[in-house]
Amino acid sequence: MVKQQDAVFRQAYPAPPYWVARFDVANPPAPGAFVLADLGGPLRQALFPATIDADGFTVMLPPHHPATRLLPGATVNVLGPLGQGFRIDGVTRLLLVAEIASLPPLLPLLEAAPAVALVIEAPTRAQLPPPDRFPPAVELTLVTRDGSAGHLGPLESQDPAPANLERVMPRLVELIAWAECACFACPNDRYPALAAIVRAARVQPAPDFAQALVQVPMPCGVGACEVCRTQTRATAQTQGGEKHACIDGPVFDMLLL
Amino acid sequence: MIELAPRHKFGLPIASPVMPAAGAFGYGDTYHDLVDLRVLGALVTNPMSLTPREAARGRRIAIHGEHFVAHTGLPNPGVRRVLQQYRQTWERLPIPVIVHLIATTPAETAQAAERLSGVPNVVGIELGVVDNVTPQRALNLLDAARADGDLPVIVRVPFTGVDALAPLLADHGADALTLTAPPRAVLPASDAPEDSEARRYLRGRLYGPALFPLLLNVLARWCSKLPVPVIACGGIASLQDATACLELGATALQVDALLWRDPLILQRIAEGLAKFETSTISE
Ligand code: FES
Repeated sequence: MVKQQDAVFRQAYPAPPYWVARFDVANPPAPGAFVLADLGGPLRQALFPATIDADGFTVMLPPHHPATRLLPGATVNVLGPLGQGFRIDGVTRLLLVAEIASLPPLLPLLEAAPAVALVIEAPTRAQLPPPDRFPPAVELTLVTRDGSAGHLGPLESQDPAPANLERVMPRLVELIAWAECACFACPNDRYPALAAIVRAARVQPAPDFAQALVQVPMPCGVGACEVCRTQTRATAQTQGGEKHACIDGPVFDMLLL
Repeated sequence: MIELAPRHKFGLPIASPVMPAAGAFGYGDTYHDLVDLRVLGALVTNPMSLTPREAARGRRIAIHGEHFVAHTGLPNPGVRRVLQQYRQTWERLPIPVIVHLIATTPAETAQAAERLSGVPNVVGIELGVVDNVTPQRALNLLDAARADGDLPVIVRVPFTGVDALAPLLADHGADALTLTAPPRAVLPASDAPEDSEARRYLRGRLYGPALFPLLLNVLARWCSKLPVPVIACGGIASLQDATACLELGATALQVDALLWRDPLILQRIAEGLAKFETSTISE
């Protein structure tokens, strides 16, 4: 059931490399699900929660995002909650993997399981958030593409055969072997290589072991516009083909992408 | 009732002049929680072709100010699968259904039109032709859509082809014309990687408020000259816009992708026009 609701903007403040914006709303989206907010401009904008509570949610946005210019108390019409978020019920060992710009939708999962490991990749040290931003119980692995902090990236192998685990960051392979479920938030073109690593690191991973949030514009959010179509593979259990990220996703089984 | 196909043996009566444009509203199962479909004239479906089409690869939306370009590739599962999936939904809808058919070849168009005749609650076909269609090709496609089916055929005329096609199609048996399909345009895809021209610019269908004065220009020039009803489409964003279209001679109107931002706009326009009609009658 698609609903419109009014969200009340409370405040926005910088938390480099993002801005945090807080909205009060009766029915906030679940982790990985979203609302489409009317923030001016010809199309609504997808907002993914970074934290969620009974009264609303916060989002982490790039600086200059229109939501950062709202006045406290402003009412914003939102469509949703929409989409299928992360499916982690009953998971005790959760791995989260993100490229820094795509990290915010994973943040509501930081305390979603008894043991959580988070891997963040950034181009360089300056773009990494300070480790004290994360709950102490989260096991944090930092990766930089230039090696200026943490492990030397990228996450996936540059080898033409990405399933060659000897060329993949050993810590990532260990964590994939350790986890009961792994949630990824990266640009879409990285998912095939990451999926190959999961296939090589796990024997027959269960459906939804690896979940990926696809990044695609979602102008309507309800399956009307066909802009968000995402190609998926068929399995013995599921029909493949093109799916709507706004209805069937935006979180998909990464091994089917 | 408003008659959209007065020359057709069955006609195409609709209760309200307001409809969603093809590609804006899905197949009838998307916005029913938000929009009271009963106030609309008809559902115009998303475009469908005889055979399945996949979505366009790469970037599909580019925004510039109040306008945007969309390039989806008109993905759809093909007429047979659409009918399997939506036949029952359409039968239960409180409004009639006009199927938007992508006119590929005359043979495929004829086959698709034949499949659509007799489908419960499908009352018409809106034929979508490519932008650079030649007049002869457009007539062949129209003939094909009318050949084996018994549904009224509306042709959605390309923005750049109105002068060449509209009078010809109307004289040749089109039951109504949708003026116009969204024009083609190119916009910079601002956040695309800078590595190739194709990635930095997106060509597609243009939507936004600038289409509206262009639409009015087309309506002012053509409505009085055409012997068939005209359905206005392009940038209609308010009750005032809708009223202007009707004043310039359009019989009905379609709200395009602007409804993604404000789905209730359809309902507001339909209810506003109905109120206006009631108050005029009572005066
Ligand atoms: S966002 Fe429009 S179909 Fe998914």
